Amino acid sequence: MALDSRPQRFIIIGENIHATRIVLRKGNRVKVLDDGTEGVRFRDTAGKTRYLAVPPRFRETQAFQQGQIKHVMIAVQKGISSDSAEQEEGTEYLRAEARRQIEAGASFLDLNVDEVSTRLDVQQAAMRWLVGTIQEISPIPLSIDSSNTEILAEGLRTCDCCAGRPMINSATLERIETLDLARKFDAEIIATGAGRAGMPENTEQRVANVEELVGQARARGIALADIHVDPLVFPISVDSNHGRHYLDAVRTVRQTYGPEIHLTGGLSNVSFGIPNRKLVNETFIALAIDAGIDGAIMDPVQNRIDAVRSIDRTSEPYQLAAAMLLGEDEFCMNYLMAFRKGRLGS
Amino acid sequence: METINAGLERELRDYVARPDEHARLRGIFERASPLMQEIAHHLIYGRKAEVDRLTRQALDEDYSPNVILDDGLIAGMAVVGIKFRDNLIFVPEVLIAARAMKAGLAHVEPILSASGIEPSGTVIMGTVKGDLHDIGKNLCIMMLRGAGFIVHDLGVDTKPEQFIEAVQRHQAPVVGMSALLTTTMPNMGRTIKAFEAAGLRSAIRFMVGGAAVTREFAAEIDADGYGKDAIACVELAKELTARSRRKL
Repeated sequence: MALDSRPQRFIIIGENIHATRIVLRKGNRVKVLDDGTEGVRFRDTAGKTRYLAVPPRFRETQAFQQGQIKHVMIAVQKGISSDSAEQEEGTEYLRAEARRQIEAGASFLDLNVDEVSTRLDVQQAAMRWLVGTIQEISPIPLSIDSSNTEILAEGLRTCDCCAGRPMINSATLERIETLDLARKFDAEIIATGAGRAGMPENTEQRVANVEELVGQARARGIALADIHVDPLVFPISVDSNHGRHYLDAVRTVRQTYGPEIHLTGGLSNVSFGIPNRKLVNETFIALAIDAGIDGAIMDPVQNRIDAVRSIDRTSEPYQLAAAMLLGEDEFCMNYLMAFRKGRLGS
Repeated sequence: METINAGLERELRDYVARPDEHARLRGIFERASPLMQEIAHHLIYGRKAEVDRLTRQALDEDYSPNVILDDGLIAGMAVVGIKFRDNLIFVPEVLIAARAMKAGLAHVEPILSASGIEPSGTVIMGTVKGDLHDIGKNLCIMMLRGAGFIVHDLGVDTKPEQFIEAVQRHQAPVVGMSALLTTTMPNMGRTIKAFEAAGLRSAIRFMVGGAAVTREFAAEIDADGYGKDAIACVELAKELTARSRRKL
């Protein structure tokens, strides 16, 4: 099978240390503590089970009232606070998140603090702190993630690179200066299919944007092997062609540049807005590996790559999800009907 | 009319749990004729062909376009909104319902505009400067048009002066701004400031939304409202339009 003939390593960019991440208040990681506040369970460096307490000011937020805890945001804010007990709690919590992803096979740890504040100086301070905190314990390199070039630069400056060269997430045509950062800090880059003036609407625009960006990267002396192309994944719930747009772009880019370039993507975007996301994500990873990706920006704790490789392609849930992802199930109707009838498994 | 058809009765029983919403919708459905109830029920399930055919039939039977809109199309969409909010249906199903709604509106709108009846309102929509994301914004636009709004879409990477120019050209009282990125969210506040500087702030109602945007952030930048998804966007647009009309 195609999967087995491609034995190279699969580059997992672990996406869990991102300030937007949530856990559900009613989920199994959350417990009401003795003082009545809620806490998110984790295992600290010493192996002890502890809880990240939700500070009072977060209980007023809309996310919390809608049943969500922005746990990474809370931990980062504690980490950069002036209270030493809170600093220790934030540090231990995020290191636990890092360890979980490392143990699950991550190749890079993606760090994104954009949402911690709307102030650039706070975002930069948070990035500095987070990079220092994680690299101290991480045997794998970091992926510095921001939609702002100055935050990226701050993260890269802080990297000691002991565990390997860092990744930049991401370079795009509208932020071409990120390619210069890659040169300056000797980093690998994620190069996306975004256009200069908008998001790509089809396969052709993705490929054209990627080719222009890769051309610009090579003109600056960046090696193909240091480029991780992300043609961009959009939700299948919004347009039944979104899966194909990505998969076909992956195929074309792989054909154009050969085995040296890396192909990746934020694959879990595809399942936004539909139920049983784990099944959809794993099916999409499998389809994308067929198309030619050799890595993904993903949650390695939720979606195990070994499970993806051995997914049963004859099962009804797989076939329903695959048909939907390949554009053969308009408005996801067959998939949603099967979901309601309980035919998609757990 | 006192009876509600079996399909709508099931919808109310199984999916509309909040007592205030249940009572309000029950009232509307009880008042509605069997034909309107049928339109509402087909709309909930996104059956475009049926909504299309029955809306045409209703007009042929001399139903007023306002009745078709309120008792059929909008009443059905209200159920869709509640089911989506409560995670009972998913994004694709909302889109199918919006498509069915659009098919019905295509018959009703020309008559409404010919008879001088105003649309639900006019809204300017755009993703703010520096941000190229538009999936959420486009969903909102689809739902707004489905609810009878005239929407002028400024696309992505919209600069403050483009919002100002559009508001003046279209005489629109409501502006919707979207941003996906935390790093572009501050441009929502800057756009509002630009309206202030131009002396136009008091005439305009601003609504904001997007993945990282929160109610707290909306208050911080002095926006008039925040919507967490496309359904909330429509409710908010209605409310802000009503507020701006009261003011005029």
